[in-house]
Amino acid sequence: MKKTALLCAAAVVASANEKFIPDISLIMDASYVSRSVSDDTASHLEVPSVAHGLLGKHDHGGHSHAAYNAENGFNLNYAELRVSSNADPIFTLDAVFHFSEHDSEIEELYFTSNILGDGIKLKGGKFLSNFGYLNEQHHHYWHFADMPLVYEAFLGNHAINEKGLQLQYTFDLPYYLMVGYELLQGENEGSFGYESLSVAGNKYAKSKKAPAMQVGYIKGSYDLDETTIFGGLSFASGSSRQDHSDDEDPHAFSGNTKLYGADLVVLHQIDSYSNIKWQSELLYRDLKGKQFAFDDDLLLKGSAKLSKKQAGVYSQIIYKHDNNYAGGIRYESIFKNSVTKNAEKLAKPEDLDRYSVMLEYNFSEFARLRAQFNHDRSLFDEDKRRSVNSFILQANITIGAHGAHSF
Amino acid sequence: MKKLLLLLLAPFVLFAKPTIAVSYPYIEALVKSVAGDSVEVATLAKGEWDPHFVTPKPSLITTLRKCDALIINGAELEIGFLPPLLNRSANKKLNSSTLDLSTKVDLIDKPELLDRIVGDVHKDGNPHFHLDPHNIPILAKAVMEFLSKLDPQNSATYERNYSEFASFWAGKLSEWDAKMASKKGLKVIQFHDVFAYFNNRYGIKSLDNIEPLPGLAPSSKHTMHLLDLIKNEGVEYIVHDVYHSTKTANFLVQKTGIKLVLMPHDIASLKSIDSLVALFDHMVEALK
Repeated sequence: MKKTALLCAAAVVASANEKFIPDISLIMDASYVSRSVSDDTASHLEVPSVAHGLLGKHDHGGHSHAAYNAENGFNLNYAELRVSSNADPIFTLDAVFHFSEHDSEIEELYFTSNILGDGIKLKGGKFLSNFGYLNEQHHHYWHFADMPLVYEAFLGNHAINEKGLQLQYTFDLPYYLMVGYELLQGENEGSFGYESLSVAGNKYAKSKKAPAMQVGYIKGSYDLDETTIFGGLSFASGSSRQDHSDDEDPHAFSGNTKLYGADLVVLHQIDSYSNIKWQSELLYRDLKGKQFAFDDDLLLKGSAKLSKKQAGVYSQIIYKHDNNYAGGIRYESIFKNSVTKNAEKLAKPEDLDRYSVMLEYNFSEFARLRAQFNHDRSLFDEDKRRSVNSFILQANITIGAHGAHSF
Repeated sequence: MKKLLLLLLAPFVLFAKPTIAVSYPYIEALVKSVAGDSVEVATLAKGEWDPHFVTPKPSLITTLRKCDALIINGAELEIGFLPPLLNRSANKKLNSSTLDLSTKVDLIDKPELLDRIVGDVHKDGNPHFHLDPHNIPILAKAVMEFLSKLDPQNSATYERNYSEFASFWAGKLSEWDAKMASKKGLKVIQFHDVFAYFNNRYGIKSLDNIEPLPGLAPSSKHTMHLLDLIKNEGVEYIVHDVYHSTKTANFLVQKTGIKLVLMPHDIASLKSIDSLVALFDHMVEALK
């Protein structure tokens, strides 16, 4: 009989007697895309007063920035390299390196405490915020090949991915209840920023003292037999700095943003392999500050007090038939788009919708092929709505020891 | 003075029943055999479902956050759901109070080739070791030693219960061994190699599985191969777990007349299986 009586829980479960080698995994995400508009047209389209550059490539702050599934034809979206291990009895270290075709970044690098106990968990480094439901999950774990419109429009396609600290507490109750607080640097491309705003050598806003962003949330869950209900309320607040002086219509913004989120997931497990999952999130953005407009020589054309109150929702139902087949539908809408400039309310479209359907086949737990169709009515070319249909065939393949996912 | 202190502390000690979280119902039964009502047991997975696939419900985080100790099957059986639950439960007690039962028995079928070209294999070997009834007393002893360390005040009770359980189980073993003696050399196929330890114990030859490789869905090519195998080798039974679809098995029954047996793998996997004894009674009787 073998010895080892008491062992560290995490180490035991992660198994491996050939210890000290971290769990290492690599994920490939590639796609074939066919769109009803050309790549050039796609990159000019915008969700009016909400976001631009959601489709295609655009230059931003000196480096080229591509959304996933950016171009017609073949796309190599990314390779995600994940390394994870217990460092010592006190800390676990997780790293996620994100490689796009010509670029790389540390997407996540964080420690987690193993010893605080009593339901208290501390995380520090760079990580995906636990704001809302989808934000913390990696792209390859989503049920669709693209990010929900409202997330991408408000937060950019990395969502809230920040340097900072996270503290979470799980209550000692008969049901699941967790509260969390995050103190973050505040460098989000869609809504937050703290650095000074300078365009063509002229300074338009001072830098804010960082960390400049805070996130808080409460999440609860309850089981009704084989149905799990999981819901949460989230709040993010911070200073905003946006430099869009590279755009066709150069502008910049300085101010503050508050972001409110509500999420609800209902999962009904039919048997070991089959389930139905209904997942919805609502995001509300309240942005206030000063907008600067520039001429073609990047000289100030004018400035105005700007306030945006915008809200959007996505709701999706996924049916997992077995370990091979799953399918789903998604409805999304940015339904509130209230923009006030110098106390004057601007008329902006508020029925910015997108409809998606997907069917996926999992060859094994490690390889998946997904076909998705989007009918997008959220995009405008100048003031004219431009419906875009997209077909995306997405391939995900994982090698190595990849950790299990949370609920 | 000491007596007075004990008397004063007694009510608190009485209420301080340790809660043991366990991953599967068979471990719950082991704990109850050894500890009776001296501990509370919280079980994470359901007996009727595939032990490899457990939904990581947030309520399980709550269970793990509150427990004093954890007993797992190990050998990667829980790898698909337990690590993130443990991480989120932030229960530091479990860093030192976790028992991995797979470290207490000898595992069989350790893969020679650790490569997913041969499917989703468990690198430490087949993890379904509790289905050899001769492993049960070994596991019960490990649970007894673990609980005695965790809760030394009740160690005498745990030891006594274990001895009673072990001698009772020895009686059952001779009964089952006698009944299974005639089954040596019996040829079967399975869906997934869940019953490897039971087959190994009683000399049952499991020639193939309905899944072509671990974790892959049945394929028509492999099913055709099974048709030939059943005819040429005289395979008598499909020993089928309760959680995979019997669609392919029914097809094989239709084509060859082979007998299909739904074999329980854990307590509650079939309605009638309410104890470890009932589990093995059923398994032994199933292959008539």
